[in-house]
Amino acid sequence: MSPDPTITIKEAPEPRGPYVHARQHGGLVYVTAQIGRDPKTGDFVKGGFDAEFNQAIDNVEAILRAAGSSLDRVVKAQIEFVDEGDLDAMNRIYGERFHEPLPARTSFGAAFLWKGARVQIDCVATLD
Amino acid sequence: MAHRGVVSHRGPQPTGSYPHAHIHGNMVWVTAQAGRDPGNGELVEGGMDGQMERAISNLAAILDECGSSLDRVIRTQIMYTDPSDVDAMDAAYARSFHAPLPVRTSWGVKFLAAEPGTELVRVQIDCVAEVG
Repeated sequence: MSPDPTITIKEAPEPRGPYVHARQHGGLVYVTAQIGRDPKTGDFVKGGFDAEFNQAIDNVEAILRAAGSSLDRVVKAQIEFVDEGDLDAMNRIYGERFHEPLPARTSFGAAFLWKGARVQIDCVATLD
Repeated sequence: MAHRGVVSHRGPQPTGSYPHAHIHGNMVWVTAQAGRDPGNGELVEGGMDGQMERAISNLAAILDECGSSLDRVIRTQIMYTDPSDVDAMDAAYARSFHAPLPVRTSWGVKFLAAEPGTELVRVQIDCVAEVG
């Protein structure tokens, strides 16, 4: 039996569906899309887009740490958001949180996200 | 490293320039599947529940053809058109995927590709899995 490749931690919001926080394969860690839910309460953080996006990145960061990786080892990020008026805030916050060497990135507007979330972000990162 | 596209007779035949899957090294990338019947290519009945179940069984058939399986899926992406479908989507997903579960990203979209038949495509799912 090979070791469990999955990671689910208390420092990120408990999954509310059939998925894990992260999964390792071939020197990479894949992270489930994170939204701006507080890991302690499970509720959305207050403060609009900025607070939600920062919390979502905090959640990704905690999961990466538990997996033995970090934000500066992210290879690819993907961001979905629902309001195009949030584009500048998304880019500003992302620029504050991610640094060189920056990951490749795909972002786009979604028609809606889970339970009214304004934004979500997932990623693939290296483990070395 | 060798890589190749795979088209299986067990999945609904592609309606555009894509194979069912592409294998590279020990990974397989599977094209997003909708709830189309592999036999006649038409969308199955049953709303989200029926479509999701069929879409996942199409994934499973394609993965099997590639030498992989649902329990070796690393990551899935799900696009769906109606926020009120989320619980039915999760329920159908949970019937087919078991521990160790994949990571997952899902989001709402404005529309999905039109398919033969009268029902609208409500959901599609793609995946990356381990192979070999």
